[in-house]
Amino acid sequence: MSKYIQLAYTKGELNTQLSELFASMLENKAVDAILAPMTQPKKGVMQTLVTSKDNVKEIDPFAPVMPVNSAKIASSLTTSPSGKKIAMVLRSCEVRALVELVKLKQADLDDVVLIGIDCLGRYENTDFLKFQAKEGTSESFLENAMAGKTEGDGFDVAGACKVCEYPVAPNVDINLCAIGSGSGSLFIEALTEKGEEVLSAAGAKFVNGPSGRQDAVGKIAKERSEARNALFESYRSETGSFDALDDKLAACINCYNCRVACPVCYCKECVFVTDTFRHKGEQFIGWADNKGSLRMPTDTSFYHLTRITHMAAFCVGCGQCTSACPNDIDVMPIFRTSAQKIQDRFEYLAGRSVDEPQPLSVFDSDELMEVTGQVK
Amino acid sequence: MAEKKPTGTVLVAGAGISGIKAAIELAETGYQVLLTDASTQVGGILAKLDYQFPSDHCGMCRMLPMVGREYSSEYCMRKSLYHENIEILPFTEIAGIEGDGGNYKVELKRRARYVNPVVCNELGKCIDACPVEVEDEFNHGLTMRKAIYKPIPHNVPQMLIIDKQACTECGECVNVCSTGAINLGAEDELETREVHSIILASGVKLYNTKEFEDAKSYAVSPDVVTSLAFERMLSGTGTYQHGVIKRPSDGKPAKKIAWIQCMGSRNRRQNRDYCSSVCCMFALKEAVLAKDKGGPDIETTIFYMDMRTFGKSFQQYKENAVEEHGVKLVRCRVQEIVRQPDGSLQIRYFDPLTNEFFFEYYDVVVLSTGQVPFEDHKKWAELTGTALSPQNLLATEPYSKVRLAGKQGMFMCGSLMGLTDISESMSSGIAAAGEATSFLSGLDVDKRIGYTTPEPKTSDRGKPKVAVLVCKCGELAGAEGLDTKLLESELNMLNGVGAVHIVESMCSDEGQEEALEVLKNSGCNRLLIGACQPYMYRSQLKDIARKAGFNSSLVQVFDFLGISRRGIHEDDKLSWTRRAIKEIKADIAMMKEKPALHVQSQPINDTALVVGGGISGMHSALSLANRGVPVHIVEKSSELGGFAGNNITATIDGLAPVEMAKDMKLKVFENKKITVHLNAEVEKTEGTLGAFDSKIVSSENGENTYLHHGAAIMATGGHEGATDEYGYGQADNIMTQFEFKKALEQGDVDLSEAEDVVMIQCVGSREKDKRQYCSRICCMWAMANALKIKEKNPDTRVFILYRDIMTYGFLEQYYTRARLAGVIFVSYELDSKPEVEIVDGKPVIKFTESVLNAPVELSPDYLLLSTGVDPEESNANLASTFKVELTKDGFFQEADSKWRPVEFNHIGTFLAGVAHSPMPLPDAIMQAEAAAQKTFTYLSGGEVQTARMTSSVKDALCVRCQRCIVVCPFEARSYNEMENIIEVDAAACQGCGMCAVACRNNAAEVSGWSDRQLMSVIDEKLSDDFELSTTK
Repeated sequence: MSKYIQLAYTKGELNTQLSELFASMLENKAVDAILAPMTQPKKGVMQTLVTSKDNVKEIDPFAPVMPVNSAKIASSLTTSPSGKKIAMVLRSCEVRALVELVKLKQADLDDVVLIGIDCLGRYENTDFLKFQAKEGTSESFLENAMAGKTEGDGFDVAGACKVCEYPVAPNVDINLCAIGSGSGSLFIEALTEKGEEVLSAAGAKFVNGPSGRQDAVGKIAKERSEARNALFESYRSETGSFDALDDKLAACINCYNCRVACPVCYCKECVFVTDTFRHKGEQFIGWADNKGSLRMPTDTSFYHLTRITHMAAFCVGCGQCTSACPNDIDVMPIFRTSAQKIQDRFEYLAGRSVDEPQPLSVFDSDELMEVTGQVK
Repeated sequence: MAEKKPTGTVLVAGAGISGIKAAIELAETGYQVLLTDASTQVGGILAKLDYQFPSDHCGMCRMLPMVGREYSSEYCMRKSLYHENIEILPFTEIAGIEGDGGNYKVELKRRARYVNPVVCNELGKCIDACPVEVEDEFNHGLTMRKAIYKPIPHNVPQMLIIDKQACTECGECVNVCSTGAINLGAEDELETREVHSIILASGVKLYNTKEFEDAKSYAVSPDVVTSLAFERMLSGTGTYQHGVIKRPSDGKPAKKIAWIQCMGSRNRRQNRDYCSSVCCMFALKEAVLAKDKGGPDIETTIFYMDMRTFGKSFQQYKENAVEEHGVKLVRCRVQEIVRQPDGSLQIRYFDPLTNEFFFEYYDVVVLSTGQVPFEDHKKWAELTGTALSPQNLLATEPYSKVRLAGKQGMFMCGSLMGLTDISESMSSGIAAAGEATSFLSGLDVDKRIGYTTPEPKTSDRGKPKVAVLVCKCGELAGAEGLDTKLLESELNMLNGVGAVHIVESMCSDEGQEEALEVLKNSGCNRLLIGACQPYMYRSQLKDIARKAGFNSSLVQVFDFLGISRRGIHEDDKLSWTRRAIKEIKADIAMMKEKPALHVQSQPINDTALVVGGGISGMHSALSLANRGVPVHIVEKSSELGGFAGNNITATIDGLAPVEMAKDMKLKVFENKKITVHLNAEVEKTEGTLGAFDSKIVSSENGENTYLHHGAAIMATGGHEGATDEYGYGQADNIMTQFEFKKALEQGDVDLSEAEDVVMIQCVGSREKDKRQYCSRICCMWAMANALKIKEKNPDTRVFILYRDIMTYGFLEQYYTRARLAGVIFVSYELDSKPEVEIVDGKPVIKFTESVLNAPVELSPDYLLLSTGVDPEESNANLASTFKVELTKDGFFQEADSKWRPVEFNHIGTFLAGVAHSPMPLPDAIMQAEAAAQKTFTYLSGGEVQTARMTSSVKDALCVRCQRCIVVCPFEARSYNEMENIIEVDAAACQGCGMCAVACRNNAAEVSGWSDRQLMSVIDEKLSDDFELSTTK
């Protein structure tokens, strides 16, 4: 059973209240460090690792922007244990990606306190600057978003967010419950013993939880699911053939930004930059000979297809791939649509549980017999 | 100068699976083998079986050697077998054997095939031209063949043969043969060979409807078939087509199929008082496959007396067959089949579950025809001068199933032993080979393993250059369509090709010399040979390549004729050539980037560790020690001997385990090569084949011993199962069978006044949530105790309550004897188990007599419970530390239940005895011998050679996600925590490539199979620089 604390705040004071909580976490040594989104001196908001209570004032957990999927940061902080307890403020897709990385032995949650935030979407990085320029704040964003209004002047939240069915982060120790909290108050939920310990140590007093939260969350999730289904239908009809997919990827230049941005693409060195793809001159000429001409660079569609086979089973739909593409290719739907089918095939959901083994990592002699041809 | 010792040579008479296995074992150990078979080809009965349970696939290739793999063929065993040390002579009979131990002269009758296999290129025009059609015995008459024919459809190369009885000598075949391979006047040839030892593996005949009277009476229609014929109806090389199992009579789909068990067995009238042992299982398999292959609307029914699922995992297979595949089992012996006017087959049966008679009509009825065990024994006894046992089988030494009595160096294995199944045939083949190697090690003979031409010591640093050598097949029909000029010019233009040469005929001596010259001067380091019979000549061609200085891994031989011809019309010369060029280019692409692969040798410590000092463990230890291998036995109790050796004074067969164990213990303690650790257990082990480090902990004094050894044998045995059912423990006269036997022997049981003794079989066994398996020996024990009781007091009533009586094989005779002695057998089902109440401290048992369909209540003087055999709990720790697996039941999980019964997937550890599964003593000893032999093959080599193609790790790319470790089936990869790297055990690695699949960026890759190579092959195949005309 979850326990709750309630943070009441006057307008404009949400982050101040939260930073007091963070400060007491550090002061009372409930944790040794906090990783949280923080307003930067030179505009924008970036994940920052804070160890001193004096530096918590600029923390802005609900800032509607995600410059990188923090699962990667969490991974670099925990691949080899530091022995220090770190609290990490992450949104749903970041937590889910982190769960997958843990299973790939690229992160460890033993000394981590996960603080999830309810997420109603994020703006692209440049759009967020516009949002800030127009006096937008996290509070104003939350208020508008709860009423279904996320659009700004010529920009809106990322496409991935519109179809994300997980506004609440799963598998966390503590959750900052924006949805259903009502205006002027924020409920903070402790879901695990770990989370309870941290909040108690920070001097929190527990109360009853907000009513109506489940319904509110359910409503949002339903809307998003419907939008997602609509996306699947339309995207699949637009990419029914290889040529159609090729068209979508026509502008791809193999910069590999999408790969770098993807939190679950975990290889140290992607196969596409190894010798395997250092083709020889005579090979290029041979390929050009086949059809009379050869568009360069080669292996662009091949790269995306490979990424599908390699990591679509772990895709959490964070949309960083689309955010990162310099040529405005909407990469996210490629992966969400194929991920849905792949994950369904294995009755798997990326990010659902640390204990759920990933597809292809366990062998069951009775599975996929229609493929292997084995008699049952 | 010292005379060179002859290489030890063994004759293996019979090339069925056990003969092949024995031959491979001997070849791996370094001895020469002469493998003969009286039939036209090798493979025996298994050549006709496409599927074996429990995998319902074929697994024959798992017989292939693990030691010195490259000296053997490494492809599908159903195609053919090749090994440097094995000479295979099909269609050869043993006409005479003279001599004794170590010095045998064997007279071989090489029967005429009339087709020279060396010259024949299988084009098959002769078959088309032959005017004679007869029944094809491979398909049991379901299909027809010509007088000149291919004996086994899936063999490669084919060794055509002429059935002289059917042949009309019209000579049409000779006219169309372009290689002159046919000689109608060929004659049988006699040849004498000297061998040092002989293994008889001539297999078994199966009961059939042609020769045996009572089977004939069932054969009222062509739709009544034998089980082997049904296997052909399930096979693509038989009559199975497009998802249809065809009725022999009219080819229509068979939808209702029945099996009648015990055809030719368990029949005292016909003097066949034995059980064929395998028919229940293969009937279940056939029924499961029938549904899978013929469609879910197929109905399958098996009419049986006892469902003998006594082997490891057999019970689970049966439950799966019934629950998942809807196989219907009816306990009723069918007396006759009546053919109906519409062709359907009527069976009238009584269903004991419902107590009603039924008439049912079937499309096909399969007679589960059993093994006929005595056929060849008289002949072999005469040929070898050995005696026959009272059972009319070749007499063997006591406790041994493979060692022939009275003859030095002569052994037998396989189904010839009588009523065995596949896994026993495998164990016996290995055991016989083991006995033979033990015998040979006492003679003055040598071992030899390796190529006749040694591997060249090249340091291949030059740029990859491929030489292409193409055989024209001497202007023969096959190569008529080849435009050699075009071929040469196209290939010479390729980047990376250093030489192209067309040879007239590679099978001739001149052709081979020419090839050798050309290759020596080619300046190339990779070689591609296009020949017509690659499987047949692969070794010779690779020999030439080695002589010319090429590394074996850089030589590729491909089937020039076969691949090029598929789908292209004979007259389309240009397409034929272009197709050939495309294939060659793809092979060249593969080879250009292939590195030279070398076999790595790792030293192997020659000490063996045997875990478990029971009879199996001691037998393995003695077998190894007698061949010079130092052995350490680790036994957790304070005594050697195990369960049987310390407790069982006599078995039903008249064996005396306690006495035998006493004898073995003496030998073990006397043997200087054996060290015994009593009161000790292996706590932990690290390392791999050839280099294990095990920590042995003594429970007596807590001392640790560290042992460095090369291999280990798990012989941890088992013990009698416990129970709390049926009031056990609540009354003095409720005992287990074993407790009763002991009490009887010690004189603690007085039967003079005993009125009733009731025995309950399958207590806590063959039941979900309990022991799910059959313990195999309990029915045998029950019979022994029952007969003993009747002997002591013939007036005592003995009741045996059973679910299935598992007296398989020759044990059936004890069941017969028990019935003749008046023992009353009452069957019960799981849902109506007997009930026991304790009244005044004594058991009162209630059960339903199934024939009378009436309840019976008894207060027996003794209530005996057959509780089965449990595995040792200590197996779990051993499995975990030796990196092997346990079955769900807690016994060790072998690498393959049929084909590799005494090995594990992770090499270096072996398995013997009850640690594998419950079994009678002679079988345990046979397995112990087999485990010792397998161990010996590795340890005696002094070094372990890895395969050429193994996996590796590119550290710089590796992100240590460890997926490669998770997916490796052979436990060949591990994470080294100290150095933070993934390591590969090259000896354990089988080059299967699972790690390469799991690893996303090729940090794990199998040498010689890089993505780059494969992508370049795909490129070649997809390139359309030529148009191919595919009109027929």
